[in-house]
Amino acid sequence: MIAFARRLVQGLRALPAALALLMLAPAVADAQENLTVAEVQTVIAQAAAEATARGMPATIAVTDRVGNVLGVFRMTGAPDAMRVVSGRTVGLGFDFARFGLDNLIVPLGGIPAIPTLRLVPTELGAIAKAVTGAYLSSGGNAFTTRTANQIVQENFNVGELGQPSGPLFGVQFSQLPCSDLSSRFIGGNVNDFIGPKRSPLGLAADPGGLPLYKNGVPVGGIGVLADGEYGIDPVITDVDESDDEMIALAGTRGFEPPVDIMANRITVEGKTLRFTDKGMSALRTDPGNAPAFAAINGTVGNLIMVRGYNAAAAIVRGRAFGTPESGVRPETTGIYAPTQPFVLVDGNNNNRYPPRAGTDGILTAAEATEFVRQALKIAFAGRAQIRRPLNSFIQVTVSLVDTNGAILALARTPDGPMFGTDVSLQKARTAAFFSNPVAAAALRAADANITDLGAPFPNYARIGPYVDAVQAFVGPTALSDGIAFADRSGGNLSRPFYPDGSQDNQPGPFSKPIGIWSPFNVGLQLDLVLPQVVTHILFTLGISPTDTPVGCTPLNPTLATGLSQIPNGIQIFPGSVPVYKNGVLAGGLGVSGDGIDQDDMISFLGAHKGGLAANTGIGNAPANIRADTLTPQGTRLRYVNCPFKPFVDSDEQSPCKGK
Amino acid sequence: MQWFRSLTVVSLLLTPLAAEAGKERFSLPAGYGTGNKGVEVAQQRRPGSQPRYQAPVEIDPDAVPPPNPNLPQDFIPIPDRWRLIEAVGVNEKWWDPYNQNTLKGDRPIFDDWFVNIVVISDTIYEPRTFPIPVGIQTTKRAGSLDTFGDTSTEVFNTNLITSLQFIKGNTAYKPPDYEIRITPVFNYNKVWADELRVLRIQPERGDERSDRFIGWQELFLDYHIRNVSDRYDFDSIRVGIQPFSTDFRGFLFQDNQAGIRLFGTRDNNIFQYNLAYFRKLEKDTNSGLNDLTEDIRDDELFIANLYWQDMPVLGFVSQATVVHNRNREKDNFYFNNNGFLERPASLGDERQRDYDVTYFGFNGDGHFGRFNLTVSGYYAFGKDSHNVFSGVEDSDIRAWFVAAEPSVDFSWIRIRGSLMYASGDDDPFDDREEGFDAPFENPQFAGADTSYWIRQTIPLIGGGGVILSGRNAMFPALRSSKEQGQSNFNNPGLTLIGLGTDIDITPEIRLSTNFNRLDFVDTASLEFLRNQGEIDEGIGWDLSAALIWRPLFIQNIVFRLSGAVLLPDQGFKDLYRVNDDSEDFFYSVLANMVLTY
Repeated sequence: MIAFARRLVQGLRALPAALALLMLAPAVADAQENLTVAEVQTVIAQAAAEATARGMPATIAVTDRVGNVLGVFRMTGAPDAMRVVSGRTVGLGFDFARFGLDNLIVPLGGIPAIPTLRLVPTELGAIAKAVTGAYLSSGGNAFTTRTANQIVQENFNVGELGQPSGPLFGVQFSQLPCSDLSSRFIGGNVNDFIGPKRSPLGLAADPGGLPLYKNGVPVGGIGVLADGEYGIDPVITDVDESDDEMIALAGTRGFEPPVDIMANRITVEGKTLRFTDKGMSALRTDPGNAPAFAAINGTVGNLIMVRGYNAAAAIVRGRAFGTPESGVRPETTGIYAPTQPFVLVDGNNNNRYPPRAGTDGILTAAEATEFVRQALKIAFAGRAQIRRPLNSFIQVTVSLVDTNGAILALARTPDGPMFGTDVSLQKARTAAFFSNPVAAAALRAADANITDLGAPFPNYARIGPYVDAVQAFVGPTALSDGIAFADRSGGNLSRPFYPDGSQDNQPGPFSKPIGIWSPFNVGLQLDLVLPQVVTHILFTLGISPTDTPVGCTPLNPTLATGLSQIPNGIQIFPGSVPVYKNGVLAGGLGVSGDGIDQDDMISFLGAHKGGLAANTGIGNAPANIRADTLTPQGTRLRYVNCPFKPFVDSDEQSPCKGK
Repeated sequence: MQWFRSLTVVSLLLTPLAAEAGKERFSLPAGYGTGNKGVEVAQQRRPGSQPRYQAPVEIDPDAVPPPNPNLPQDFIPIPDRWRLIEAVGVNEKWWDPYNQNTLKGDRPIFDDWFVNIVVISDTIYEPRTFPIPVGIQTTKRAGSLDTFGDTSTEVFNTNLITSLQFIKGNTAYKPPDYEIRITPVFNYNKVWADELRVLRIQPERGDERSDRFIGWQELFLDYHIRNVSDRYDFDSIRVGIQPFSTDFRGFLFQDNQAGIRLFGTRDNNIFQYNLAYFRKLEKDTNSGLNDLTEDIRDDELFIANLYWQDMPVLGFVSQATVVHNRNREKDNFYFNNNGFLERPASLGDERQRDYDVTYFGFNGDGHFGRFNLTVSGYYAFGKDSHNVFSGVEDSDIRAWFVAAEPSVDFSWIRIRGSLMYASGDDDPFDDREEGFDAPFENPQFAGADTSYWIRQTIPLIGGGGVILSGRNAMFPALRSSKEQGQSNFNNPGLTLIGLGTDIDITPEIRLSTNFNRLDFVDTASLEFLRNQGEIDEGIGWDLSAALIWRPLFIQNIVFRLSGAVLLPDQGFKDLYRVNDDSEDFFYSVLANMVLTY
């Protein structure tokens, strides 16, 4: 009787959450909101008024949820160039090999003739911030570039010495301009407005990038750069009044996220995430009374064209997420039944990545389907770590690649944050590549493909030394002996301390030492893509006639794909596993969009259950070849870490044990 | 020491001067003086009481006269009154605290200064289990793929408590005039775990830790200001590191801390009062002892209380108290000796904060006829400069707590109940913090360190660098630690309902049992910290038993063996792994040996 009453009470208590879930799922799937031209004008005008009040003329960018640049407005007097600066590196000199993007200066006037130096254009910073606000957010979480700042530093939280690095350490180098997944604005192309779009500098950690919502539905982001610096915030215990952030915040008036999903209501490891430091009450203007856009356009500032991002100095409407023209829509053939995910489509509404057999002849299309289906099932049953209301299911993107890095399947839950699309693919490829015995040789061979800009510009870092370092650190056969590296394992070796957070220790072999390390200078991850990013910056400046080619890294292309195994760069935070067929490496399964433990679990259990369902010998790496059998420098590597209370409707607390 | 008096009388009688001097204070035996009252009946003297006399003895005029007190041949040289007993052949043994012993304050070392040396060896061995996460960055074993790791740890801890007391004044009849007390404690501790990053933040430093420390648990001067009545009601002041408890059971503050305390009694000890100021010393992380090598903390307590004996009935003591806790550690960023952040707690938005909280309390202890009762209640009222959950500045603190322990004795069996409620916070996003927390609890309640919940540290895995329930603590305060952390009023609160027994099986052996039911009051704060919905309130059943053996019937040699199990209920299962490898409970075993000199 008591037990019955207890269950009854529990059932009644669960009711609101269940109802919320029921209402949320169709709401997110069905509610198709987009920013109109007039709304983009309103956002810009509100931000510009605040910038004027602050005496900080700004460059303001607005994007939609899938990263289309809807408008870029430069106020008169706004800096047109910015310093990329972490504030950590000693000295002001720029040096690609030593400092990466930190203190980046690019040559103006063409290569190699005119060595005039200038900084990075501010509009790239503003776009990167807007994309970040849009991409990190969803119907269940509203994150900003300040949130990003908190989760990419060497401790989480930064300043709490001894703690491991931020959970999304390395996410700043995703959505890269050279990514093969992210689409580009070319002009006159059928794919011009499908998402997800690339970001010129990856994701931003500089406060001043916020998401935009309409009726609780995420519709885009705003990014502001007024202070001439594209940086990070190394002290998060204080309360800053960042001009960039306050200007962007003014722009969001009328387009705010629901209070309950803002970052400061969401905890990771018991720590709330930052949304903005100061709120609307600290604004110096009432955005509702801002002058209309028509009144400021051409006087206070002007719309500008950004090469590679829009066609003209004009405003375009946003694309409604979930509709084919956004490039993301529901999967309609039922191939992943019983789950009903979304997929990426091209400008002709064709699924860009339907399941297919591996280019290496290992996995079949059916096996690829099963991996992704099972991973999605885990997500729909799982407890989200970064979403509200509480006990929401997990929303992520799942990518499966083969040993060549070719995408065999890609699908996402309806409301997964957009950043996870590119990141899940980076993770899948990273696991597949670093578990592949060809990795060491492929990385060494890349150095021959790196072209420096020539004197007086500094040379790019070379990749070979990283292989030397990891083989000295882990063992002489590292990256050539077929040990299975989950992304968590490789991430262990990519931190400025080994083990992660132990600040008296040496760096991991894929990391820069802490003396020069910064979120703009992480080591192998950046050095693999930096030449392409610089090329892209030169393209936006009109200095380079051609954009960076598709495919980020200098590795040799594989014969099967014409691209390298890691053509959108590698990722160094957890959420992927290599997959095997009868003990032979078959590819990688990557997941991104929720907490890293959730991402880990979905990839690991997706691989496990995909194997059980297919019953064809596919699945996870055998336990005896996983990276957690290695103890470099006496400290064991991790493989995956599955989360506490993983599922909404179960007491299970050890979902991955023994698998 | 009662016999001192008669001996003194005799010795004083041996000299005429002394006899003269003593006339006013001592009545001479009948027959030598006026002789009309008779011999005074030996009885306890109280101020204002009239002496009673035996009927006068008639003196036979023919009897042989008594010896002349001034005759030299009757004079026995005595070194001083304290050593008379040696003259009759009773010599002290320095190792025997039960008989006359200079080292135990029975004889002065000079003038009327006494020394008392106390040495206590307190050693524990404690195997236990509680939820432990695997290291985030590395694990002890391959194949550790989940968050929860091996639960077992063992502790060996030994304290050598050495107390040196210097006391001026007659210790037998009245409060001493001065007391100086110095109590260094020599600690050695060692812990074995089965996962990395539990004992130290650096996972590469292994799964064992040993440490040693010398802490200063008492270091004070006590000055007896004055007596205010014939019954030795007094005012005293005590300055330095001293023990203090705000109530009978250590619910709010029981610790040895640096402070100044004015205290005394009135109306024949019916009233006792304390006016105290304490400022917290930093605690050594692994021994829990006072660390004088660290800066003193900016955490202060202002305490006023009044005890009223026999109120409302004979045998019951009531106490009212006001305690103000002023914390100014907003500028603090303090890591403990193991590298974990203590202040601010690694929790919420992790911004530093100050707080002011005032506790209004009522406490009672005693018995109503055969029924024993201890009660305690506090209302906490104050401001937190920054609410780390909601981000609200100047958040209100409103929390309360009540506890009661009724018991009744049946010959050699005591049966007692334990009832406790500590309020919980129901909305982490508002501007009110409604979970009860105490500045430094040390609850002697519901089994105390015998019980699993009170004894063991239970980390809130995945919910921040805080512990759900601290060591020797009851409130689920979600603070970094009881010893070094700040109070946290954003917590789930607790109810405890328990039934226990104390059974004196023989005079040497006592068996205590405790059977406690534990529930959170409101899990909103836990749900927020873990981003996990519907965490049940039920913590579980805490069953424990303790066997205390005093082989020689004395408190100087005490052995204690206790064991406890926590049978987790749904709330605990929502938070932790409890059903793995058929291990569906957590345990705590405590073997303790206390030797006292």
